[in-house]
Amino acid sequence: MLLDEMVIDENNVGFIPSLGISFEVNETAKRIIELIKEGKSKEDIVKIISDEFDVSWGEAYADVEDFFIKLKVYGLIQ
Amino acid sequence: MKIAISGLNNTDNPAPGIGVAKSLKGHNLIGLSYDANEPGIYQGLFEKVYLMPYPSLGYEEFKQRITYIKEKSKIEAIIPTLDAELPLYIKYQNEIDKLGIKTYLPSLECFEMRDKSKLPEFSKKLGVKHPKTIQITSLDDLILATRTLGFPIMVKGNYYKAYKAYNLDEAIEYYYKISNEWGFPLLAQQVISGVEINYVGLGDGKELIAGVGIKKLSTTELGKVWSAVSIDNKALFEVSKKFVETIGWRGAFEFEAMSDGKDIYLIEINPRFPAWVHFATMLGINLPEMMIKLIQGEKVEKKYDYPLEKMYIRYVEETMADFKDFTTLISKKEL
Repeated sequence: MLLDEMVIDENNVGFIPSLGISFEVNETAKRIIELIKEGKSKEDIVKIISDEFDVSWGEAYADVEDFFIKLKVYGLIQ
Repeated sequence: MKIAISGLNNTDNPAPGIGVAKSLKGHNLIGLSYDANEPGIYQGLFEKVYLMPYPSLGYEEFKQRITYIKEKSKIEAIIPTLDAELPLYIKYQNEIDKLGIKTYLPSLECFEMRDKSKLPEFSKKLGVKHPKTIQITSLDDLILATRTLGFPIMVKGNYYKAYKAYNLDEAIEYYYKISNEWGFPLLAQQVISGVEINYVGLGDGKELIAGVGIKKLSTTELGKVWSAVSIDNKALFEVSKKFVETIGWRGAFEFEAMSDGKDIYLIEINPRFPAWVHFATMLGINLPEMMIKLIQGEKVEKKYDYPLEKMYIRYVEETMADFKDFTTLISKKEL
């Protein structure tokens, strides 16, 4: 998947070297991308985000779910 | 070496000649122009500029003019860069060679193989996908094509211009817009969602010598690149390499493709340097210089690596010239 090649720089811009496309990401998105690349499941990611960002499981679930949909729309994950 | 270069336009519809000339600054350069208004004439890149007869006037007119230029400026090679003149240069490359002027062009057979109308078949040979394309020579053809392909649809000229139409009214509007300016045939093409990526390369008739891949970041209204970023797309590189090796391409080319991250769709192959060729030079891959070395029979090392995430930025600059230069070029056909 394209997300595997994403390189995020110090300005929080994720760049895909094979296609030359870039995305601005916030801290949460950056962390979710790291976790996806580590091979964590969606459920694990929700739990980690909930713990690390001090938000409820429900809020973390909604955000992670929404972010996964965006990644699919942009063709970054299958 | 004394090299003549065509394609000196440098407006928001730039021709490749200026990028080629900037890449060959160490040589004595002669400009070949079709219009005294072309800004590249006045940029100080050429020691002399000649107005050329339009290619539609045929080879005899061309031969007469180029023989005169050869005698007067002692040119040793020509790099033609315009789509409209390439068929003439390619068809008569042996005759031009006999005049003592070297070129580095593909054979007529190779040139015709990558014609837009033949891409569906050609893309199969390269093992890449190609958007469904229907040739159009009448309004009825267009309507039928929209029924087959649905909307949105690309309406394209065989050489220039391409527009995305979202309904039949728009498709008809673009049909007239392109055909009035550029004639027939037109092409109706399936729209591929994805990212447009391009590769400029140089083949020696057997292998890919060098090249650079980019993604256009912004374009002008005419779709000409205004900013871009260097990319490393393995699939694009491999198919460009295969293109050269499969048909034995000799000369410059630009491989235009769409990628959805999984598949590569061949959009078109331009048989020349693109107007952004100087970006490759700035990245350390001087394709025009390599071409000149090949023309001179020198060995050229293959070069496929270049810095990534470098940005190409085109900008507007102004200059001043003597009006007399302009009038001299118009009246005497040379400057």
